[in-house]
Amino acid sequence: MQKINRNVVLALLSLTSLVFLLFQLCYYKFYLSQKNGAAFSKARGSQSGQDSTRWHVVRKFLGLLSSHNIPVYLIDPLILGLVDKDIEQIRSSPDGPSPECKYFCAPRDFTTFALLDKMWKHDVGLFRTAEKMGFQWLKIINKDPRLDGMDDLSGMEIPLHYIFKLASHAIHLVVFYERSGNFLWHGPLRLKQHMDRKFVPFRKLHFGRYPGAYEKPELLLVSIDDLKVQIPKNPSSFLEEMSHSRFLECRYREARAFFQLYPDDASLDAVEFRKKAKSLLHLAALTLNNLGVKFWLSSGTCLGWYRQCNVIPHSKDVDLGIFIRDYKADIIPAFQKAGLPLKHKFGKVEDSLELSFQGEDDVKLDIFFFYEEDDHIWNGGTQAKSGKKFKYLFPKFTLCWTEFVELKVHVPCETLQYVEANYGPEWKVPVKTWDWKSSPFNVQDNGVWPIDEWDNVIQIY
Amino acid sequence: MEEWKPSPPVKPHKKRSWYLAWKYKLMNQRALRKLCQTGAVLFLLVTVIVNIKLILDTRRAAYEEEEESAQDYDDEMLNVEVPRHPVNNKKVLDVEVYSSRSKVYVAVDGTTVLEDEAREQGRGIHVIVLNQATGHVMAKRVFDTYSPHEDEAMVLFLNMVARGRILIFTIKDEGSFHLKETAKNVLKSLGSQVAPFLSWRDMWTFVGKKGGEVYGEKHAKSPALSTWGDPVLLKTEVHLTSVEDAECHWPDTELNRRRRRFCSKVEGYGSVCSCKDPTPIEFNPDPLKDNRVFDVPVAVIAGNRPNYLYRMLRSLLSAQGVNPQMITVFIDGYYEEPMDVVELFGLSGIQHTPISIKNARVSQHYKASLTATFNLFPDAKFAVVLEEDLDISVDFFSFLSQSIHLLEEDDSLYCISAWNDQGYEHTAEDPSLLYRVETMPGLGWVLRKSLYKDELEPKWPTPEKLWDWDMWMRMPEQRKGRECIIPDISRSYHFGIVGLNMNGYFHEAYFKKHKFNTVPNVQLKNVESLRKDNYETEIHRLLGEAEVLDHSKNPCEDSFVPDTEGRVYVMFIRMEQEADFTTWTQLAKCLHIWDLDVRGNHKGLWRLFRKKNHFLVVGVPASPYSSKKPSSVTPIYMEPPAKEEGAVAVPAVAAAEQT
Repeated sequence: MQKINRNVVLALLSLTSLVFLLFQLCYYKFYLSQKNGAAFSKARGSQSGQDSTRWHVVRKFLGLLSSHNIPVYLIDPLILGLVDKDIEQIRSSPDGPSPECKYFCAPRDFTTFALLDKMWKHDVGLFRTAEKMGFQWLKIINKDPRLDGMDDLSGMEIPLHYIFKLASHAIHLVVFYERSGNFLWHGPLRLKQHMDRKFVPFRKLHFGRYPGAYEKPELLLVSIDDLKVQIPKNPSSFLEEMSHSRFLECRYREARAFFQLYPDDASLDAVEFRKKAKSLLHLAALTLNNLGVKFWLSSGTCLGWYRQCNVIPHSKDVDLGIFIRDYKADIIPAFQKAGLPLKHKFGKVEDSLELSFQGEDDVKLDIFFFYEEDDHIWNGGTQAKSGKKFKYLFPKFTLCWTEFVELKVHVPCETLQYVEANYGPEWKVPVKTWDWKSSPFNVQDNGVWPIDEWDNVIQIY
Repeated sequence: MEEWKPSPPVKPHKKRSWYLAWKYKLMNQRALRKLCQTGAVLFLLVTVIVNIKLILDTRRAAYEEEEESAQDYDDEMLNVEVPRHPVNNKKVLDVEVYSSRSKVYVAVDGTTVLEDEAREQGRGIHVIVLNQATGHVMAKRVFDTYSPHEDEAMVLFLNMVARGRILIFTIKDEGSFHLKETAKNVLKSLGSQVAPFLSWRDMWTFVGKKGGEVYGEKHAKSPALSTWGDPVLLKTEVHLTSVEDAECHWPDTELNRRRRRFCSKVEGYGSVCSCKDPTPIEFNPDPLKDNRVFDVPVAVIAGNRPNYLYRMLRSLLSAQGVNPQMITVFIDGYYEEPMDVVELFGLSGIQHTPISIKNARVSQHYKASLTATFNLFPDAKFAVVLEEDLDISVDFFSFLSQSIHLLEEDDSLYCISAWNDQGYEHTAEDPSLLYRVETMPGLGWVLRKSLYKDELEPKWPTPEKLWDWDMWMRMPEQRKGRECIIPDISRSYHFGIVGLNMNGYFHEAYFKKHKFNTVPNVQLKNVESLRKDNYETEIHRLLGEAEVLDHSKNPCEDSFVPDTEGRVYVMFIRMEQEADFTTWTQLAKCLHIWDLDVRGNHKGLWRLFRKKNHFLVVGVPASPYSSKKPSSVTPIYMEPPAKEEGAVAVPAVAAAEQT
């Protein structure tokens, strides 16, 4: 009897646990689909036809804005992704009625639109009308970064994001501002303490985790799902841009503290050098952007940005970094065409490439090419007279946008690690005597170029 | 399970159920049986693990949901809401007012709202206006009624204060010497018993409601001419009314909401807060056709002169072609009232922590304002720079719209200014006429972004240099021989009397009689002739047509210029080298135009109007136009007056700048 009991108990237990496990799995799957929405709702969307709530909310919202003459454009990445697939067709028949609701009916929590700040007058009437139409709205304001760099100016806070909620759908309106450097900027979405954290599921927003920088988009008026909306003319390039849009503000407060400790050099020479460095950087950026080569501020120029939000007046050159995979043979002729003759070329594409161009009076443009390894990134240096090679190691980094001397440029997002790798923990202290072969914190000897290669890897003009 | 032992095979029994049969069958296949058992155990284990994972996962998700965006979306700064002061439900205010020779103070509910014990300052009658519902200070003024005309200003001010407000008066030092009958009557009408008999060096305090009850009055008579009355301290209570009673019942619109906010905070702006017929705060002037300055940002540089700012913004917003969205008011300091004025008009304002002192402070404020303007409007190629003590002509933007392309295209230009230093009532005539001048007048001007960003900003005087920004801008190192375009009749009017370098006398002498254009839509004449080379041709044409005046007469006399209209006359003065302005300064003095330094010249030539005739003055031989002088004419030389007088004039030059 004992044996039987044991077996029975075991079998029963197994059975219940099986049932229970099945139940759990079901529940878990349900929970997952609810959390991510995507897979589940897509299925529902195609099965049960369409979710017209979203479409109606979007239509109402567009009506609201057009009645106040506020131009917005669609930047919702999910819809733009769909639109991009059919872009030819949409372009060719801008007015055609659509047979089915393809874009605005997939049930989502949000639809995202963009608004250019200068295109509207902060009209309070908009919100009053919105309320009358049944929208609930939330405004996220914050400091104006365009005044942040200024000594002790306190302007009004500016609106960065709006959220309009109606029924189960919400419109996320991202406000874009023009910045010096001819680009658009949107702010991060940060909730203040008293704000309603449950107003919408903020984590699902596509914009606002970080501030972002974008080119001014060309817009196209299209009719999709019988709604007339403006979209970026080239949705795929917009989406591409969006994936690398993270923007870093310069650390103005720290820069001010730095200048308190080490007053800025206001001599005529410093002013002149800064002016030249700025115009050289503008020229370099123009040239490289035209070639489509991605570059970032490196070495002293990056330190200047990070530490003092300006060109270091005693640095005497402008330093840029480029990943070797982005190297193009046209770089040298393009700079020459722009009036910057090649001064020297060290290394080769396979190893330690470094280019130096001669700018106006003695101001030099150094371009270092960076080689990616599994756990680090490095660039090389070469001493002309001895053929010695050097290697500068950096931890891995990604690129962010920033604004520097009225220019939108890349810097390593992990700037502190980058600067610390290069200049050591004492990077905050200005150093006037600098030897590129021994001063950098991350320099390593890397052997000597074989003599027979010298003609190729050490070219001085 | 250790005790588990394979049971001996048992023969099937009939009565046994199918289950047992199955069981025994299984038992017969030991391997299978074992497998089943381990399987079941494994199954149990897996269930437990999945369960635990699920519980953890759900809990984490729930936690995140709750925190929503703890890491990513929370404001970094802990924005702890400052607890608002508990609403004061008290209906009674304790007011203390003190009056004495060297000190006055006013305390409301224990809070000092006025305290002045500075020496040689703050003489006269101090007036404080309180809101009758909240007890907040709405205005604070001091009228030096020891000096002439200040009592008139006080009457004006008191008349502007709305009925029902609480007024507090106290005298410091002396307040009766120029307190005329009218003013005394006004004080009497407010309920003061003593005011009509206030006399030399009396001390006096008074608290009352405008058009209502008196809360208290104290007075101490001066016993003798050489001594002051004893200090007086008045302690009294004021009963507050309800907020509804203290406000006007304007229709509920966006504009009136702004107006209500403003009017409940400050006093002394007259009809803008009138309950019955408030003056508009939105002006909607006619738009300009083909407005080329619609997108040009306008920076209004302001300090703590809110009444000036109010007047200035009114005229600015009434000018045709104005674009309020492009206007930013930069306030030097954290003053509330100027910001209230800015908000009243729905404009944007920026406050600036003062850096340095005196002129350098103004100069740093200018720099910050200009930099901020170009940051806020990165697309702008120009910025219009205005000050808070200017009236703006109705055709200000039309004037700029017609001329701004010159600044864009002609590198020899430094600025366009709305102000003609020599454009007085008797020396300016033609609203459509423009000049090129080597001086930078300021007072309403347009700055090119490239000039600012590339040249001025990097070497702007640092805070420790006590320089005037405009003097600095006029220095040859900055100006580099470039010129400004100005109109004959100014498009701005400088009304400020109180200022860093300004006083009533100075204003009367140099600014009051300045001509100011009031004609809308003036079509400027021959704008293209203002380009560098065209202007020379134009000047030569003018000189060619000009009649030479009789150089034997006294140029200061009216009869020097014939009684004609619309003619062009020329006179020649002695000017040995480029910087020799001896005769010009004397001539300017007797013509009652700007003589404190040299303004309005172009290559040794001045252009103005006398008796409605165009009047040219050429400095010989320094001016390149000297060749136009007939050989028979001897240039006029005017002796500077005795040395001492000259010495007095020099410091005044510095004082004349930038107010």
